[in-house]
Formats: sequence, structure tokens, C-alpha cells
Amino acid sequence: MTTRRCATRSAAVLAVAATLAACGVTVPTDPDGTLDRVRGGELRVGVSPHEPWTGTLPDGTPTGLEVDLVADFAQTLDADVVWTVGGEEALVGDLDRGELDLVVGGLTASSPWTSKAAVTVAYVTVTDPDGEPEGHVMLAPTGENAFLVELERYLLDQEVQAP
Amino acid sequence: MTQGAVGQSFRFGNTELPREAQAAAHRARRLAWLTIGFLVTAVTLVYLVMGSSQAMKAAWAEDLLSFIPPIAFLVALRITGRVPSEKHPYGYHRSVGIGHLVAATALLTMGAFLVLDSVSGLLAGEHPPVGLVVVLGYEVWSGWLMVAVLAYTCVPAVLLGRAKMPLAEQLHDRVLYADADMNKADWMTGLGGIVGVLGIGVGLWWADSAAALFISASILHDGVRNLRVAVSALMDARATTVDGKDQHPLDETIDATLRALPWVAQAASRVRDEGHVFHVESFVVGRDGTPTQRQLQEAWDAVTGLDWKVEDLVVVPVDELPEELLPGVRGE
Repeated sequence: MTTRRCATRSAAVLAVAATLAACGVTVPTDPDGTLDRVRGGELRVGVSPHEPWTGTLPDGTPTGLEVDLVADFAQTLDADVVWTVGGEEALVGDLDRGELDLVVGGLTASSPWTSKAAVTVAYVTVTDPDGEPEGHVMLAPTGENAFLVELERYLLDQEVQAP
Repeated sequence: MTQGAVGQSFRFGNTELPREAQAAAHRARRLAWLTIGFLVTAVTLVYLVMGSSQAMKAAWAEDLLSFIPPIAFLVALRITGRVPSEKHPYGYHRSVGIGHLVAATALLTMGAFLVLDSVSGLLAGEHPPVGLVVVLGYEVWSGWLMVAVLAYTCVPAVLLGRAKMPLAEQLHDRVLYADADMNKADWMTGLGGIVGVLGIGVGLWWADSAAALFISASILHDGVRNLRVAVSALMDARATTVDGKDQHPLDETIDATLRALPWVAQAASRVRDEGHVFHVESFVVGRDGTPTQRQLQEAWDAVTGLDWKVEDLVVVPVDELPEELLPGVRGE
């Protein structure tokens, strides 16, 4: 009887999920609506210089492989990028406070910022100085899962050559 | 599993188990191994998909803790099989109680830790990030994988629990009972986790911590309940049924059997649950003074013949029932 109850309840939960999906709730959804705000609006990006992944020109304009990736991603969302250049810790703090939507800076999957930021899937894997494989990632706001999934889907579609 | 030879006979100390109980012990041991096998798959799968979900972490901890009861059962089954020795004249039955106490303490500690962990997650407003994974070339939201894994862990656990429950009663094994009981309740963990993950999916960040809190509270609850039963058994509380709820019926049956003997005027017993088997001290008052040796032997045979669980019996002829040794006797 208990097994059947388990199965019935699981089915009920799935039915609820399906209903929600049918009502236009996409899964996953952002608790704070980041993706909706960025689409057709502004993408606020923090850049921490880390050659050759990120850097700045003498006039302060951000450059580098990750900057190009982000600019291209913003285009798919029809968004304008607002860049903030700074140190990693300050930028992660801004991301955690909801003042930034994305942070890049040659970060890897072993980044220590996991409690303050959502680490994306690796968009390229290189070999670190110890000869171990090392995935390069970006940081998104924690829990903004629709935005995270949109970004990850974009990153996974790119064929990135390690610089 | 070199001990796994078919036809091996189980015994609890001096007690050679009757045929049905032998079969139950064999089946229980097979189910314990099956549980361990299932838990290995569950723990691995949950670990692979858990990501940063609190609810998944709590469900994983519960699966890890679920290893303790079947292992404790298997160990206790081997140890209680030893025949009493000069050094251990009462046998090794208490190993069941020790196994039960250890399992309960682990549940209690882990449950308390996880409750604190999920409450602090709720208070800190942690928003769990759940992104994409690539499975066989397909990009899938990890939440769907979590739901699938949780749904998987739900079903075999409940089936195993239901299969083990009657065996626990038959063998009078509290560890096996605790194990079966936890397994039976496992669907709630699975379902709670599924609700939490789907909650994240629809943008309710707190659903994850709330689900984790629900799961941890159920672990804590299991811990408290088991600890009470385990401690009261080790404290030589009077024998109860395997769930610890009611007085064991043998208690009454033993006294009734003694009183039914024609030469017995009064009889009362202390029944101690050693784990699996009972050790009994019976006090009897004869109608015409001191009973004969033959009468005492007759009483001994009648009581030990009642059930295999009556392993150890001392019949003491007395002039009147000693109230200080039999606290319940005054009221009768």
C-alpha cells in the first residue's frame, strides 16, 4: 500500500509540475527575475583582469576571450552590456548583493566563491600547471536558475579554443 | 560472504532456532545484503546529481545513515550466534541492543546537525543554484535528474522495508525492526526532496531548505524514537513487543502456564529481553510447601517449551512471592 501511495504521490507531484508548465511557468524560474530583466535590457558584468582570458585596453575598455563571449551572449538576449572592472572579491560581493548579473575573470571550476555565486559549466577545459584538466567557468547570481541555464546553454554551444 | 553457504543453521546462543525462524533468519540476512546493495546505488546516484541542493544533501545523509542498521543487524546476527562461554555466561545477545543504540545515536546526531544546517540555510536566505548538465549529449536541467533519482530511491526502500517488517517481528530483532521502519518511511524523504527540487524549479528558493528541514526532522525523529527503545531495552525494562510499544505477550503466558500447574498456588516472573531471546526468573509458591524436584523440572519443561525465545529460565520455589523483586505483584 505504501509503495502505491509513493507512486501515486510522485505522479501527483509530476502532474502539478506539468500543470505549472502548461500555465506558462518555465522550469527553472528565477526567484528574482534576472533573465526577464536582462532580456532586452541591461546585462551588468563584472570583469576581473586575468590575461589572456580577460583584460583591459589602455583606455579601460574590457577585452579578452571571455569578454567576447559575454558580449555575444548579451546579443542573443538583445541586451546592452554595462561593464564594471575591479578585483575579484569586490565583484563577487556585488554579484552576491544583486548589483551585477555576471562575473568573468579567468575563473576555474575549483573557484572558492561557490557559497556566494553560482558556478557555470566549464565552457573550455585546459591543462593546469600540474598537468591536471581544469575547466574555465563564469559566475552567475546564486539561485537565478533560469538565467544560469540560459547562460550555460549558450556556453555549451560555443566551440571555444583555449588561448 | 564466505559464511553465506546455503543450509547454514542460525542459532541465538544456546537456542537452536526452529525451522520457520531459521528460514526467517536466512531471508532477513539476504534482505540486509540486498538493502546494502541498493543503498550503494542510491548513495552513488544521489551524490552524482546533488549539486548544491540542501534537500539532496539531507536525502544523501539519510541514505548514508541507512547503511548502519543492516550492517548492525548482520554483525549482531553473527555475534549472537556464539554459544555462551565461561567469560560470557549470559551469551552475546546484548550485541543486538548495542547495535541498536549505536544506530540510534548516529541518527540522532546526524538529524540534529542537518536540522541546524537547513534552518541556517533558511535564515541566511540561501538561493540554491541548479544549472545544466550534459547527459549522453543532451543538455538537461539538473533538477529533473534529481527528481528522477529521488523517485528511484523511493521505491526499493519501501519494498525492502515491507519485506523485512514481519521477519523482525518473527525473530524479535529490534535492529531489523528499526531498519524496516526507516525503509518504509523512506518514500517521505524521496517525496520531500522531489517537492523541494520542483520548488526550486518554479522559483521558490526557500522550498529547498524547507524540504531539507522536513527530511532532517524525520531523521531526528527516528533517532529519538530508536534511542528510547534501545536504552530502555539495555536498562532491562520488562520485555516488550519488537516495536517497544506493548508488553510482550509471553510475559503473561509464562505466569499463566506456571499457575496452571496443579501444585502451584502462586507464580510470578521477571522477564528480561536480552535481544532475540528472553531470560526468565520465575518465583513459585507450592500449595503443599516445598515442591519436589520432579515438579520443578515439570515447571521448567512447561515454560521453556512455550517458545524458542525463552532461552534461559530459573525456577525459584519460595514461601511467598518476594515483593521487592517483583514490583508489580502487590497490586494483583
